[in-house]
Amino acid sequence: MTPGEVLLEAQQVTQRFRLPNGQILEALRQVSLAVREHEVVALVGPSGCGKSTLLRLFAGLSQPTEGSVRYRGRPLDGVLSAAAMVFQSFALLPWLTVAANVAMGLEARGVVGQARRDAVARAINLVGLDGFEQAYPRELSGGMKQRVGFARALAVAPEILLMDEPFGALDPLTAENLRSQVVDLWRDPSTGVNTLVVVTHSVEEAVFLAGRIVVFGSQPGHVREELSNPLPYPRQERSPDFETMVDRLHAILTATLLPEPAPAATPQRLIPFPRVHVSEVTGLLDHLLTRPDGKGPVFELAEDLGVDYDRMSAVVRGAEQLGWVTTPGDIVQLTAAGREVMAMDDQARKDTTRARLSKQPLFARVLAMLRESEGSVEDEEVLADLTIYFPFIPADSLFQTIVEWGRYAELLDHKADAARLTLLESPEGASESRPA
Amino acid sequence: MKPLRFPPLLAPPAIRRLGLADVAILCLLGGAIATVIAFAREFEAPLRQVVQIDLRPAALPKYTLYSLTRGVLALAISYLFALGFGWAAAKSRTAERLLLPLLDILQSIPVLGFLPGLVLGLMSLFPTRNMGLELAAILMIFTAQAWNLALSFYNSLKSLPDPLRDACRVAGWRASRTFWQLEVPAAAQGLVWNGMLSMAGGWFFLMVNEAFRLGDRDFRLPGIGSYMSVALDRGDTSAMALAILAMVVMIVCVDQLLWRPLVVWVEKFRLDETAGGASTASSWMLDFLRLARLPRRAKLFRRRAYLTARRATRPFERPWRAATPVILRGPRLALENPITRKVAALLFGAAVAAVALAGLWQLWLLLAQLGRTELGQLASSAALTFARVMAAVVLSTAWALPAGVVIGRSPRLARALQPVIQVVASFPAPMLFPIVILLFERIGVGLGIGAVALMVLAGQWYILFNVISAVAAIPEQLKDAAAAFQLPPVARWRTLYLPAAFPALVTGWVTAAGGAWNGSIVAEYIEAGGTLRVTRGLGSLISDATAHANFPLLAGGIAVMSVMVVGWNRLVWRSLMVWAQTRFGLGQ
Repeated sequence: MTPGEVLLEAQQVTQRFRLPNGQILEALRQVSLAVREHEVVALVGPSGCGKSTLLRLFAGLSQPTEGSVRYRGRPLDGVLSAAAMVFQSFALLPWLTVAANVAMGLEARGVVGQARRDAVARAINLVGLDGFEQAYPRELSGGMKQRVGFARALAVAPEILLMDEPFGALDPLTAENLRSQVVDLWRDPSTGVNTLVVVTHSVEEAVFLAGRIVVFGSQPGHVREELSNPLPYPRQERSPDFETMVDRLHAILTATLLPEPAPAATPQRLIPFPRVHVSEVTGLLDHLLTRPDGKGPVFELAEDLGVDYDRMSAVVRGAEQLGWVTTPGDIVQLTAAGREVMAMDDQARKDTTRARLSKQPLFARVLAMLRESEGSVEDEEVLADLTIYFPFIPADSLFQTIVEWGRYAELLDHKADAARLTLLESPEGASESRPA
Repeated sequence: MKPLRFPPLLAPPAIRRLGLADVAILCLLGGAIATVIAFAREFEAPLRQVVQIDLRPAALPKYTLYSLTRGVLALAISYLFALGFGWAAAKSRTAERLLLPLLDILQSIPVLGFLPGLVLGLMSLFPTRNMGLELAAILMIFTAQAWNLALSFYNSLKSLPDPLRDACRVAGWRASRTFWQLEVPAAAQGLVWNGMLSMAGGWFFLMVNEAFRLGDRDFRLPGIGSYMSVALDRGDTSAMALAILAMVVMIVCVDQLLWRPLVVWVEKFRLDETAGGASTASSWMLDFLRLARLPRRAKLFRRRAYLTARRATRPFERPWRAATPVILRGPRLALENPITRKVAALLFGAAVAAVALAGLWQLWLLLAQLGRTELGQLASSAALTFARVMAAVVLSTAWALPAGVVIGRSPRLARALQPVIQVVASFPAPMLFPIVILLFERIGVGLGIGAVALMVLAGQWYILFNVISAVAAIPEQLKDAAAAFQLPPVARWRTLYLPAAFPALVTGWVTAAGGAWNGSIVAEYIEAGGTLRVTRGLGSLISDATAHANFPLLAGGIAVMSVMVVGWNRLVWRSLMVWAQTRFGLGQ
């Protein structure tokens, strides 16, 4: 099927939210994207890049702060009735039967009486849930629930099917099975669905489903790159062409997730430390030690360790900031310092981490704040400071990272009861003021 | 294709024969209708200065039904109020900012103090009928029932997962449909549980509401509360016992026939789908109803009636559909324009401020009449009652905390005792006050100390309930860990049960103190066996001012009590609650 005329179009869309703490979060900045008839478009990118926000804008569930969203050239006014949506968390009403859940969207579209019963039966039949009409959602497995989600969307015979990580909450086996059924549904002209927009976390899923893959970057969310995927349907996941496509997408994502280090001209720039745990970084180093030459591509590492790729890249960024790995291209390479630190005992490892963290610009700044105020600062003050420097990152998550790493390295401590950060600079001081 | 609308059970047409269950339901329906009619006639009856209360036991069922009807009517109004109030507060930020503090204050001030004004106002509206008095009584019960319902509805609206809302919007549901099919069902569990609490709270002031004296005027309504107060006046012990028995029977019946089935039924509307939450609760009444065929017939009739109504309104549908956008366009345009919106908000704010100022001015006019001695009297009474309230909270905690932990940690005990405690706790404590005081007098304890015991009666259950449910909710693994490391009993209480119960204990304290404050109005000023007993305190000051129609002092007493309760809630309980949650909350 060749793409036809433009169905949905986002023009220079910017979306901002106000967080409960008053911080303003820019989820999307000047994003333009057109979806054409007969297309399958996948939106991929790290979490927090605004891809789900864009999907909600397409559905008409929220209005952009700036710019416009158009359907067939007309600006959207309220919810787009030509679209149906499938949710990651299924979003089924637990007190309605499967049949009643599937019928949810029909009444508003003027389908009543026998026509409604027919539409419900057909949609249930399409997703293979015959016999479960009178079941309640809590009696179904995750995969079956999502089938109900698909049936609900298909029942209204939408022009556009919007899917927000539809397989994200399912086990891999079920996800794979449902994924190929979605392709079949799309290719089957009788369903009426001819355009799909899917938000996904999985590179394989994007390559399997989409004819066009849009890669988002984060902070604030923006379109990094678009990639067209001409592989013929049905796609074979083990074919060389498929793997080439996956590798290409990996390379683009790596460039997004692991940008090359900033040029040396701006060494004083504050770099946010990613929200990763100490054990995750040591886990990564441990794993790299077991590999030949201590290196491997980031996506392979993610797969081996069973985490998703943007989590993996956050861990890699953390390790990189501490100087324990380097990232030429999409390869993660253990450094000599990284090997050394893994050979140390616990105390020596803490000492090294302390030395390295003290030089990390963000930690250095917090430590300087602490020294200026005689070793103790209120949480509020640090949070305010972080908000100024990193307006697009939730400050409390950064703060938690600082506390966790600071505690591990015995640089600082946090008194939750008093809501204060305290300095523990020298190791002697650290052992004295540590609670018994 | 299978029919989707009805469960297959309905398909066979052989549902003609009436079962025993259907006869019972018909009888119940008839009884309910008869009660409502009799009650309505009572509404119309010309106002007799004093309703004669018949102390014969045969009259008691009638009185009980009258009281029950008032409670049920008030509960119905409370539910309507809660739905409107909670919805407004959850939907509009402006409304939220205004309504939530209002709710917080309304639920903590002694509403009983407003009874005289309410009675007099409504009486002058309906001078020749009992209607004013009835309305006042129902409104007073309403004020004891409505607030927690509204708060519960608001909370469940706020915690509704976003995807569910989005799903309804994508499906094109209108706001009204989303309300009845998403928002109300999601709140159903909270509404039913809180309805149970509300009903119990509504009985608290039953005696005062139904038999109420203002100056030398005696306002009385036929009901179980006035029956009890007449029995007390005459010192008729057997009538007192009968009234208490009737009250217990009524509470048990309402529990078994109304709340149990509802509680089991709303299990269906649970939002969290996690397994293990499957409740073991059962209700013989619900099973009975499910066996009966009549409700199913009723469903069929209801559907037919709905279709007929739809058909009847069809001619109006088109003009209505054409008219609505026109009607709605004006306000919508006005609300979308930032300038008109600002102006409207300003006008609204000004109106609220004006009403508040007018009220403040009226209050000031009243308070300005108070002399120096009266002000001193207010201060010392307030201090005395405050001490009694705190003593009551401490005493309630002293028995309810250990008892709650013991009951809560044994699921078997909790299951066995929960219904019993629920019934006992629903019993309006003020009905027992005179009897308790007579007993105290026999052993030589005066009302000054005795009032504390009465206030314990009024507040203790909240603490017990909260502790039981908190201890019952301790994760099994924590208990296993305590057992595996062989923690000695004392350490087990100190490190596990008490900290885990603490946040709930604080919540219990807030409500128990509220109950004690309210209770002080009837506990410090008691008529029993024909003589009046008074001890100094804010509660007796309010009661006394009511009895002598001393409105400035009444206003002063209510104002002082409201300020103390709200201030204490804001300054002490709230910070204690926040601390308890962060320090001892089990959610990590």
